[in-house]
Amino acid sequence: MITIRNLSKYFGTKEVLKSINMEFYKGKVYGIVGENGAGKTTLFRCIAGLESYEGEIITHPTPIKEHLGLLLAEPFFFQKITGKEYIRLLCNARKVNIPNIEARNIFDLPLHQYASTYSTGMKKKLALTAILLQGNDFYILDEPFNGVDIQSNLVITEIIHQLKALNKTVIISSHIFSTLSITCDEIHMISQGRFVKSVHQKEFAALEKEMKRTLIGNKIEKLGLT
Amino acid sequence: MVKAYFGLQYQMLHRKFRDAQFNPWLAYLIIAIAFVGFSLLLFSKTTFAPYIYILTAFAFIGNLSASHRTEFLEICYGKWQMQKIRMLENLICSIPFFTFLLYQQYYLAGGILLLLTVILALINFRTTLSFTIWTPFSKRPYEFSTGFRNTFYLFFAAYTLCLIAVTTQNFNLGAFAMFLVFATTWTYYLKPENEYYVWNFSQKPKAFLWGKFRTAMLYSASLAMPLAIVLSIYFPENIYLLLLFFALGWAFLMFMMVNKYSAYPKEINLFQGILIVVSFWFPPMLVVLIPFLFSRSQNHLSSLLK
Repeated sequence: MITIRNLSKYFGTKEVLKSINMEFYKGKVYGIVGENGAGKTTLFRCIAGLESYEGEIITHPTPIKEHLGLLLAEPFFFQKITGKEYIRLLCNARKVNIPNIEARNIFDLPLHQYASTYSTGMKKKLALTAILLQGNDFYILDEPFNGVDIQSNLVITEIIHQLKALNKTVIISSHIFSTLSITCDEIHMISQGRFVKSVHQKEFAALEKEMKRTLIGNKIEKLGLT
Repeated sequence: MVKAYFGLQYQMLHRKFRDAQFNPWLAYLIIAIAFVGFSLLLFSKTTFAPYIYILTAFAFIGNLSASHRTEFLEICYGKWQMQKIRMLENLICSIPFFTFLLYQQYYLAGGILLLLTVILALINFRTTLSFTIWTPFSKRPYEFSTGFRNTFYLFFAAYTLCLIAVTTQNFNLGAFAMFLVFATTWTYYLKPENEYYVWNFSQKPKAFLWGKFRTAMLYSASLAMPLAIVLSIYFPENIYLLLLFFALGWAFLMFMMVNKYSAYPKEINLFQGILIVVSFWFPPMLVVLIPFLFSRSQNHLSSLLK
């Protein structure tokens, strides 16, 4: 379980997270939505302990970083590291021994090639595979569906369902609403560093409608497309 | 157009020095002194210096011929201007090597270097190879696995030098080969990794640093041991000297590692740079510097390795 109390984060004088309070329970999948720059990634980095912050983040078990699989929106890879070595590096870091990595390569990635030669989607799948093989209790997936092909999208959706069944806590951010509506128990909307709305499954459709109305408004008409 | 390009490069280079807290002109002076110093040392130690020199210049200039770089320049400036820029870049970079070769009266080597400079300006290298270079260090990534792939040719050069040292009964050359092996591994600890890779470790800073050092000792030993064995067979009278080299090699490896993490997550700056110079100038300083930097590294890593 993750409990966040009065979490604030400043970059210089700019307050990017404003007194956030939230609880994430075991066996639940949470979606975080918001515009670019709303504070989603900063929130994830604070939970992971990659950023200093004001307020409290209480986790069980602790420290969370030893039980957290963090999928970054843009995973970083060394120039000449192969896919297999990347997985091994992340598993070694958590003292997890995977004797046959190839057998666990469910996305059929070319593990003996340099990760830097992978496409955007392949990089995402590699990073996801690595954190899954770490065997974590918590998962923060920042844009897991970005750049990923349709087949892998289905696989990732199934993985999230499986993680939920295994009583893991999963927090996902995505700009594709449909990917959240089929995986999440709750969706929280963040705007300008604050949670402005939280909805459960049965209200997802209404939230999507509301988002369309408030975010799109008459912007398309302004284009004057003919 | 060409002038604007080099103006931009000049600004970027100066920015890089300033970010590392170096006065750019002071940095140029230090680099020039270091270059002349190492060149004089190299040419005084071995008759193979011109070959090593050309190889070093080749590796240095070769980096500029990376295909993604050349493609970018061509998109921005067109083919003709791109080739002009590439030619000028290569000439600027090869001038120090070329001048020193002429000073040492190696005219043929100078000519070869000049020819390579021109040829390299006209061809592209694919730096993202379609094949993966094998590495013996893939069990415990990443420093040695990625580092070996970038520098494997230097180990071939070192082993070749060792064979030459044995056949010519030149222990100094053999010692230089061993230095080359260790010095190459020290460079694996010059750049800080992305913080995600440190954050992932479920270890406290002390255990993290010792773990890294154990791997570095094991892997560097596996590279240097063949040389040490061969040299100790052919030069048994120098076995204690070889043991000392080994110990120094490891000490500097540890030093370079803690030096990097003492500035982490930033790149090594002026302070760390001075410490490197001081330690090479007077190696006994390592006895004080390693524990000091180890402690600083622990502090710098503590926010990520709680």
